[in-house]
Amino acid sequence: MVFVNSDRTPNSSSDLSGVRAVKLLIAGGFGVGKTTLVTAVSEIKPLRTEERLSSLGTGIDDLTGVERKTTTTVALDFGRITINPEVVLYLFGTPGQDRFWFMWRELSVGALGAVVLADTRRLSDSFGAIDFFESREIPFIVAVNCFDGAERYDEAEVRQAVDIDDHVPVQLCDVRDRDSSKRVLVRLLEHLMTVATTGGVAAGRW
Amino acid sequence: MRHGGDDASFELAPGPLVRPFAVTRGRAGKDLHELDIITLVVAVRPEADVAGLDREYGDILRMCQRRPLSIAEISAQLGLLLAAVKVLVSDLISSGHLIFRSPPPPTTGRPDIKLLQAVLDGVRKL
Repeated sequence: MVFVNSDRTPNSSSDLSGVRAVKLLIAGGFGVGKTTLVTAVSEIKPLRTEERLSSLGTGIDDLTGVERKTTTTVALDFGRITINPEVVLYLFGTPGQDRFWFMWRELSVGALGAVVLADTRRLSDSFGAIDFFESREIPFIVAVNCFDGAERYDEAEVRQAVDIDDHVPVQLCDVRDRDSSKRVLVRLLEHLMTVATTGGVAAGRW
Repeated sequence: MRHGGDDASFELAPGPLVRPFAVTRGRAGKDLHELDIITLVVAVRPEADVAGLDREYGDILRMCQRRPLSIAEISAQLGLLLAAVKVLVSDLISSGHLIFRSPPPPTTGRPDIKLLQAVLDGVRKL
């Protein structure tokens, strides 16, 4: 596998040659529990970073006159799981607002896969994310966050309602619960293994 | 470099909307060493080198001593936009203070099964 590396020889205490970072995306509608899921499994308190909207996806380099523009930023919440000394996993909660969907394009490059988090009271909020990952052939699962008071649906009903392919796993969960959130990630990774070993598409191609 | 009489206003940090363009002096950078949001960087110069650097460069060099951090983590911890952090980190790579490792570019090949298995094993152990 080809890596992009700096050409300097690292010293022994700062050797990056054996370390790699990978990412998974947590997508879904506004307020569906993306950051809660990240919080449940992350080894660090989730961090927030921001990107300037005008720089996204366009590669704009000219900032002439930028001081007079109104700059809009979009926030990303993320967590980290140190898998082992060689692998660090980052979980990114994608912006909930539909109008920021194009942020996902840069984020999704190289992502191993995604969780589309859905709320049965507002299943249509997850359609945008499902369409996005389907169109970019990024493997994903649908996790249904079972809120208190929400009517319970079984997996088949959810599958029919969101109209996804039979091979896409659907998992019911409660993202406030660490074990439940962990099982969502396990289910996703098992799905990614299945896709990978049955000749599925590469991660994050678009 | 600080302007002597303006220190007070500098301390009133204007936040991530304004500072990035100040700290990068308006550059958004064309040669960013292919830095991704999860590119890992680590210092290869001692913390003592911070003394010779502008504040934001020093902050980054200090944070990245002995442990790799991602561009995303640096951005979050400094309260700077990702775009600005990429410029600053890129400068520190060029000057030999940091080394980096970016994820491989997306390919049309099969995903790395061994890597997926390692991640799955790691998550199961949580």
